Amino acid sequence: MTRIRQGYIARRRRAKIRLFASSFRGAHSRLTRTIIQQRIRALVSSHRDRDRQKRDFRRLWITRINAVIRESGVSYSYSRFIHNLYKRQLLLNRKILAQIAIFNRNCLYMISNEIIK
Amino acid sequence: MASCSATSALSLCSLLKLNCRVSPAHKNFPFLPLSVSRKRILSPPSLSFSFKKNPRIAPPRFSESEAPVIEVEAGPVPESEPAQIVETSSEVPKREEVFAVVMIGSRQYIVFPGRFIYTQRLKGANVDDKIILNKVLLVGTKTSTHIGKPVVPNAAVHAVVEEQVLDKKVTVFKYKKKKKYRRNIGHRQPITRIRITGITGYQDSPAVTLDSL
Repeated sequence: MTRIRQGYIARRRRAKIRLFASSFRGAHSRLTRTIIQQRIRALVSSHRDRDRQKRDFRRLWITRINAVIRESGVSYSYSRFIHNLYKRQLLLNRKILAQIAIFNRNCLYMISNEIIK
Repeated sequence: MASCSATSALSLCSLLKLNCRVSPAHKNFPFLPLSVSRKRILSPPSLSFSFKKNPRIAPPRFSESEAPVIEVEAGPVPESEPAQIVETSSEVPKREEVFAVVMIGSRQYIVFPGRFIYTQRLKGANVDDKIILNKVLLVGTKTSTHIGKPVVPNAAVHAVVEEQVLDKKVTVFKYKKKKKYRRNIGHRQPITRIRITGITGYQDSPAVTLDSL
């Protein structure tokens, strides 16, 4: 059998992986074997966190809505607000309510007044 | 274009007649309840692409120009004109400061006239199709809001499909350590970019204003 040198094959493969980890800190963007490991960890984290993202954002929105709702009224809270929302058959979800709370707070007050009645 | 005239025929029909039933040729447009998702309408690709679920009675009101309203109310109008006027009036720079919350594909979006949003791929919609979104949950202006219970009656958001595109690639990497299991899968979700042209039909519904706070 003729002898075949490896040539550039491994280098090209590792260059792609290195590009992926080019913004990592310290040895994690410089040493090849470390780069391979860190790339795996990064991709696994992103896959797992894409599912967590949905949970995290919902928590954030709930916190924000809670903060704004508690300002209007003595013992008014997020839980009562959502209960009233369902009783009045509104379909707005927490993402939209949190956005409204930031961008047009009067609108949220109007909604909560409308619901309380 | 045949589909364009069918579109405007639909819209005209709804504007001029009460309880307009779409002609039996468009058999997949029954009087659908509001809670039905948009997927129902999308099956026959040959039909017109105006996604009007319930043909509405109220004429569209464009604050940009009064010409369309007058012409439509006058009655016999060449059918292609309202569609064209819709397009040109949305190019006028002055915009109403309204926003709406619209539900598309069971997701809710805050929508401003003139801006675009990315939604899940709308099957059967081609580029430059005009779309009317009927599930409007809230319409707000600077001083008042129209809250829908659950939907603002007669409100509609007009939009134009800009492009049907694939989202950025997401690498789905599955890995189990010490078990020699790894899978590398790339995924591009098909999405549609929609530009919102106008929000109409909300003036009649009861509004909550700042004074009542």
